[in-house]
Amino acid sequence: MSLFFQTLVNGLLVGGLYVTISIGFSLAFGVLDVVDFAVGEWVMLGAFAGVASTSWIHVDPFAALPLVFVVFAGVGALLAPLIYRVRTSQYARPALMALAFTFGLATLARGTMLTAVGFDPRTVHTSFANGTLSLIGLEIPWLRLVGFIFAVVATGVFVGFLYFTRTGLAVRATAQNKEYAGLMGVDVKRISTLVYALYAGLTGMAGVLIGAIYAVTAQVGPQYALLAFFVVVLAGLGSVPGVLVAGLILGVLQAFVTVYVGASYTLGVVFAVLFLTLLVSPRGILRRGVTA
Amino acid sequence: MSRPLATTGDRTRRAATTVTVLRGLLLVAVAAAVLTVPGWADDYWTRILTGVCMWAGLALAWNVIGGYAGYISFGHAAFFGIGAYATALLMQPDRHWNFYLTLPVGAAAAGALAVVVGWPTLKLRGAYFAIATWALAEAIAQLANVAGFTNGSSGLTIPAFASSTYFYYAMLIAALATFAITYVLLERSRFGYQVKAVRDDEATARSLGIDTTRIKIQAFALSAVIPAVLGGINAYWITFINPRSVFGADITDQMVVMALVGGLGHAWGPALGAAVLYVLNRQFLAAFGDTTSYIAMVGLLVALVVLFLPDGLVSLWPRTRRLRLVRQLIPGTRAQGKR
Repeated sequence: MSLFFQTLVNGLLVGGLYVTISIGFSLAFGVLDVVDFAVGEWVMLGAFAGVASTSWIHVDPFAALPLVFVVFAGVGALLAPLIYRVRTSQYARPALMALAFTFGLATLARGTMLTAVGFDPRTVHTSFANGTLSLIGLEIPWLRLVGFIFAVVATGVFVGFLYFTRTGLAVRATAQNKEYAGLMGVDVKRISTLVYALYAGLTGMAGVLIGAIYAVTAQVGPQYALLAFFVVVLAGLGSVPGVLVAGLILGVLQAFVTVYVGASYTLGVVFAVLFLTLLVSPRGILRRGVTA
Repeated sequence: MSRPLATTGDRTRRAATTVTVLRGLLLVAVAAAVLTVPGWADDYWTRILTGVCMWAGLALAWNVIGGYAGYISFGHAAFFGIGAYATALLMQPDRHWNFYLTLPVGAAAAGALAVVVGWPTLKLRGAYFAIATWALAEAIAQLANVAGFTNGSSGLTIPAFASSTYFYYAMLIAALATFAITYVLLERSRFGYQVKAVRDDEATARSLGIDTTRIKIQAFALSAVIPAVLGGINAYWITFINPRSVFGADITDQMVVMALVGGLGHAWGPALGAAVLYVLNRQFLAAFGDTTSYIAMVGLLVALVVLFLPDGLVSLWPRTRRLRLVRQLIPGTRAQGKR
């Protein structure tokens, strides 16, 4: 029984980070109408930024989180206008081309990092959170707990921004309907850039934490992209509340499959659940997403 | 007006005839060169050109769903791998099937899987399809890694049949057959018009009585069957397969990139993209010893092609059809053009 609860807690703690990765991704989809294949690469690059902050500027990676956010948001702000341009071009199949464009960016990031650092796994070392916390019979690594708390805070701030600020209102309006939002005086292009920058920054920070919890290699990106995709499909594409539930579900599901079935079966189970979701409720578990 | 009209006509006609003759001669020369490759090329280049044929076939097959139907599949490695494993498993010494009989088995398995996966996902918007196919490929690769009958990550060995000449012609025939099938079905038949109608305006296509989901599933199945056959030939060629070498995501990536760089939705553009990129890939491998820098280059190339050359390399060709059809059939673009 204690194994059961231990697995549950582990799953929830990791699920928190999945929520952080997926929430920006989901919103970027809602606003830009582009499935960003580079989501996993932002995680990978974030983890390597954490490694670099120890070895290059000798700052603890967790203390460098704000810096990571600024740098990644900056890069995101530079890329966003390009994605926006492809997505809104008069060319045939802009949605498809935008998908291909982010795929190109992801491949570029992966290839560059593979060339630069090779295939060796790296870990983000921090002096902030070490050891484990023993609580009512459960062993919780401080690192995971800190990661989860960070995820809760970051997601909370992000959701607060969305629902309690004027700009957040504009973002939600743009996600609902670009044309009407534009008619109401929302600068859709600027909102798109803002959302993509926030999303890149948020995902980069989550990458630092993931790099501290698990080792990362330069080719780990697609794995996290797949997890983010799974979360948003389960949540319903474009649904923010759904992401909060679906991220935790994925974390728990993955933890239970790993413990009770075997780590090699996680993707198989994840795909089965994804397939069933699409079959039974394509708009996600909360039935809030868009399908067509 | 001083120049007599007849002379202009004659001159144009004569020029046109010369162009036709030159073009015919060029075509014959290229055909002769392609058909006699094992005669004039050394073993290294024969192998590279065999690879070009295989990738041309794969890119053309991917183009059916990606270019013609407009749904990006990120899981085509699954079909390639299923074909490879079908051939490898059936040709094991204890089963000892004839090589040619194994190909339809792999093709049937891939086609059936495509129908099962396509049925729920092709009703939804393209993003769902892209995600679902990707997840499918990853899941199947992982299963092949742990399942007992596939011999896990250590892979399978096939009784070797080492003849570069045989495999060059096998791949060449497969690639030519792929081109012929996709060309006839998609450029010269009712089915082709239906697929393109679904891509260009699904609602209108449905209102004209096209069963859009069925057409998309058919296109997906067609596009899945061909890689399975090529995967089977490839398995026999390289004689050793494991999940990494035939289910790897890089195989799907290559197909997508080749089709995109060559020209999405173009009859032979993807084959051109395949030839250019595969030869480049081998040169990178020969020059740097690994292909990580090639991955980066391909990524950059895709981004640049999307931004500046969305019709791919074929649109550089003078007076090609480019993707005129695609552009004209999109309502927004046509209005833009007329303004």
